[in-house]
Amino acid sequence: MIRFEDVSQRYGEVQAVRGVTFGVPSGVLCVLLGESGSGKSTLLRMVNRLIEPSGGRVLLQGQDVAGIDPQILRRGIGYVIQSVGLFPHRSVAENVATVPRLLGWDAARIAARVDKLLAMVGLEPGEYRARRPATLSGGQAQRVGLARALAADPPVLLMDEPFSALDPATRRGLQAELRRIHANMGKTILLVTHDVEEALALADRIAVMEAGRLVAEGPPLAVLGWETPASVRRMLGAETLAFHRLSALRAEDFALPGFAPGAPLLAAGGTMRDALLLMLTHGTDRAALAGEAARHLPLSAILAAP
Amino acid sequence: MKKAALWLALGAVAFLAALWAAPQAEGLWSALFPEVSRPAYVQESWFVLLGSHLALSLGAALLAAMLGIPAGIAATRSSGRALRPVVDAAFTLAQSVPPVAVIALALPLLGFGAAPTLLALVLYGALPLLRATVTGIESVPAQITEAARGLGLSPWQRLTRVELPLARPVLLAGLRVAVTLSVATTAVGAVAGARCLGTPIIIGLTNANPSYVLQGALFTAWLALLLDRALSLLAGPQSSP
Repeated sequence: MIRFEDVSQRYGEVQAVRGVTFGVPSGVLCVLLGESGSGKSTLLRMVNRLIEPSGGRVLLQGQDVAGIDPQILRRGIGYVIQSVGLFPHRSVAENVATVPRLLGWDAARIAARVDKLLAMVGLEPGEYRARRPATLSGGQAQRVGLARALAADPPVLLMDEPFSALDPATRRGLQAELRRIHANMGKTILLVTHDVEEALALADRIAVMEAGRLVAEGPPLAVLGWETPASVRRMLGAETLAFHRLSALRAEDFALPGFAPGAPLLAAGGTMRDALLLMLTHGTDRAALAGEAARHLPLSAILAAP
Repeated sequence: MKKAALWLALGAVAFLAALWAAPQAEGLWSALFPEVSRPAYVQESWFVLLGSHLALSLGAALLAAMLGIPAGIAATRSSGRALRPVVDAAFTLAQSVPPVAVIALALPLLGFGAAPTLLALVLYGALPLLRATVTGIESVPAQITEAARGLGLSPWQRLTRVELPLARPVLLAGLRVAVTLSVATTAVGAVAGARCLGTPIIIGLTNANPSYVLQGALFTAWLALLLDRALSLLAGPQSSP
């Protein structure tokens, strides 16, 4: 769906992106992970031509974006930024309707679409439609930003640190919301973040950037595996990498059949990390799994996890 | 808001009543200036003077807006950045030359009357509008223009749907300054023979009649204040979010 081919970007003396090649398959949520200044945002903004690469090319559905009119291109790509950038002189509904209006949809279709999207991002349309952006909290504003990006049903969504400015609880809520929306709508999403936890919570694939180079790319487990280059391990935090790996593993994939009398109960969908924390908290060496069949997870399974 | 409009209307009525009463108030003027033999200005109707004063100053403000606002927009486009210092310098120069000097310099070319006055007023008023346009557009937060770009608004749509609406309070404030300045400065046009509320001032100065000077100055200032209030009333509701 999105393909970077030997893409470079140079600002005067500074080489922001150096020969990056990789692809994001259709329907995949790919997280571009890296520290600030690693070139991840620059790479993202090349997809909708907010930045033109100084070398290489970016393909969208097999077509070089350099050959597509930037306005047409951008109206077909959802775009969400950290600062949200809602238009303060427009109501929530008008903000969400921006792209459909540019595309010339009729009023009835726009109104129906706006209500549907507000409901989808968890904002009651009747209550929020007429509100001004200034009256929204940070989390609500970013929900509107997400609805605005999805308004014309673009197949691709670009998100530049969308949740970084929000407090942790709001951030987790919106991450869960995004996962749900992604599962339901099957968009191809490229999301930039510097937060490893966020990458693990969201990603189907992770691409790690460092000093303009792509240093690792693949499914989260492969990127966080023991064979990961030392530089990537250092960047992700070697001492916490093991925990991050455990976060990427679902406990039920490692569970053994049978009861574990007296063991604490792990909530459905819990990760290996959750299980380990549960055992630490309760001072036990096993956890019981929620579900119909009796299953439990011993500590040895965590230690033996690949 | 309603109350302010009412006060403004009352002020305008009082102003017009004073214009009507001035030629008749011989007693008042002679009490103020006992040494002047004919203290009431009766050569021309004050309403004729008011009409041509307004035509001249508002026309000049309109022309200044047609010059300053597009120049300000051009200076804030990415393609116009290079032009910015040149535009700024030209407009600053235009404002730093006093209107009287512009009139004097323009007299040989444009002759007596309204034309040199109009030129001076336009040059004088264009800078505040240029500045206001640039300030207003630059006050639009970068993330909002970035979002507009990312959503696929064309440069023209970004200007008309995002930048100008958000720059509006600052722009209107600049317009208010320009109009008030223009109305107050138009009186200078009387030097070049442009008919306006400044005419009695010039006649009074040349004929040693301080009563005429006072009346001309009074009505010029009164008009400028009234228009300033009217424009602030117009700009007021939009400036609050």
